Amino acid sequence: MSGSPYWNPKTETLPKDQLRALQGHRLKKAVERAYHTSAFHKKLFDDAGVGPDDIRSVDDIVRLPFTTRDAWMDNQAGHPPFGEMCAVSPDDAIRYHTTSGTSGRTPLRVLDTRTDWKWVAEMWCYGFHGFGVRPTDRVFFAFSYGTFIGFWGAHYGTEKMGCLVLPSGNMNTPNRVQLIDELDATVVCATPTYALRLGQEAENMGIDLKNGPVKRLILSGEPAGSIPASKKLVEDQWGAKAADTAGMTEIGTIMMFECEKQPGGTHIIEDHFIEEVINPETGEPVDYGEQGERVVTSFGRTAIPLVRYRSRDLVMKVPHTNCSCGRTFDVYDGGIRGRVDDMLLVRGTNVYPRAIEAIVREYTSVDEFQIYLWTKDGIRDEIAVRCEVRPGFEDQWSGIAKRLQADLSHNIEGLGIHVQQAEAGSLPRFELKAKRVLDERHVKGANRD
Amino acid sequence: MTDANDILGNALTDSEQKLLAAYRTLEGLLAEDLAPTAAAGVREATAALWQVVNNLGLTDDRPGC
Repeated sequence: MSGSPYWNPKTETLPKDQLRALQGHRLKKAVERAYHTSAFHKKLFDDAGVGPDDIRSVDDIVRLPFTTRDAWMDNQAGHPPFGEMCAVSPDDAIRYHTTSGTSGRTPLRVLDTRTDWKWVAEMWCYGFHGFGVRPTDRVFFAFSYGTFIGFWGAHYGTEKMGCLVLPSGNMNTPNRVQLIDELDATVVCATPTYALRLGQEAENMGIDLKNGPVKRLILSGEPAGSIPASKKLVEDQWGAKAADTAGMTEIGTIMMFECEKQPGGTHIIEDHFIEEVINPETGEPVDYGEQGERVVTSFGRTAIPLVRYRSRDLVMKVPHTNCSCGRTFDVYDGGIRGRVDDMLLVRGTNVYPRAIEAIVREYTSVDEFQIYLWTKDGIRDEIAVRCEVRPGFEDQWSGIAKRLQADLSHNIEGLGIHVQQAEAGSLPRFELKAKRVLDERHVKGANRD
Repeated sequence: MTDANDILGNALTDSEQKLLAAYRTLEGLLAEDLAPTAAAGVREATAALWQVVNNLGLTDDRPGC
């Protein structure tokens, strides 16, 4: 069994009916714990007229109310510093982390007990092992190790697996590239944007990544890890396979990972989470193959119970049979496809930044880009894609820009999108979540921080 | 569920029985008055072994650490 491709063969290949039975059992326990240990949940459930005794199987989950980030944040603000969501005394916790928000509001604060923290790492192990990482690997983390939870769990997960862990919290990009090269890292963990940035820096430094020791990249933090064109760009640059993962501070870890078969999406870790997909407007469930908002219930954390949490992530669930790996865990086709509130409304047309990225990344002549919106003449919304041109392509840029403009218009409902050349090095680079939308319109829809 | 069956009612394998027994032993030690070095080590070990018995569906309880 030690040669198993599955981290947990017993549950990763459970027949679907048994997997649902396991989820039902764990859901009941999770709701009992949340009700009895978290004042936030007790009030939420009482207000909805539902209690632990109403949960007998996984199907009963729809009887439970949704939890929202706004309600959590309001509660935290009213009961500082940790709010009533927190189900343990800070004396029983060993870790403190926050969300990455930059909206000006206090970010969500979360605590983890010793058991929680090991569970956080455990979830990452599902992903690393599932993508072929093994104890002999040397795993490099392009991560700053701050209060944002980011790759913290991944660090401890690979340490648990027995890998040689290479942290780089104190390093700049050239130092990181040098360390990857000098220590023969075989796995690199980064956001997709930063993986590209590292690749560009390696090229500047004359380091040949394609023929180097890195065989796998574990991507997280941005939808780009599942955008085929972006992933291909990363894989080509590094000469390595890239796997997408996705997690959130609210659950402390990842809830989905891409396996070695790379089915074009990410498996949901269904023995530890229930993931529902709903219509974000109506709250009603959508079928397999329909895009909707993911709603997560987590069985793992003691300190922060999470029941039916509306993530605002857009996903499309497809059956596990879409992948040939043998897991019975369903798949989010295309990973996280964007955010419900990322959508930009431009002259009546819905524009998703992910859709623009999917097109721009087809153009290897573009090094970096930014989506810029402004109001022309005080009344008309305009949108442009600002591009830094890859060295060597400057002379051809005029023709490339015309083709890119036509591609964007063709794929986004005929919307006129300007393509502008940006000076080399003028656009921001990101280590964590990239923010490529600059919206300077006078009136605009709500944008997520 | 008993210590002879998992959450889904399947009989435990020999290895699973040993893992669960080890976890129960550690859980019991949590309540004892141990030297700081022993107490901290037992807490760490209990939390680590809980991941195993939880992953394998051998128990649905949680350690107090």
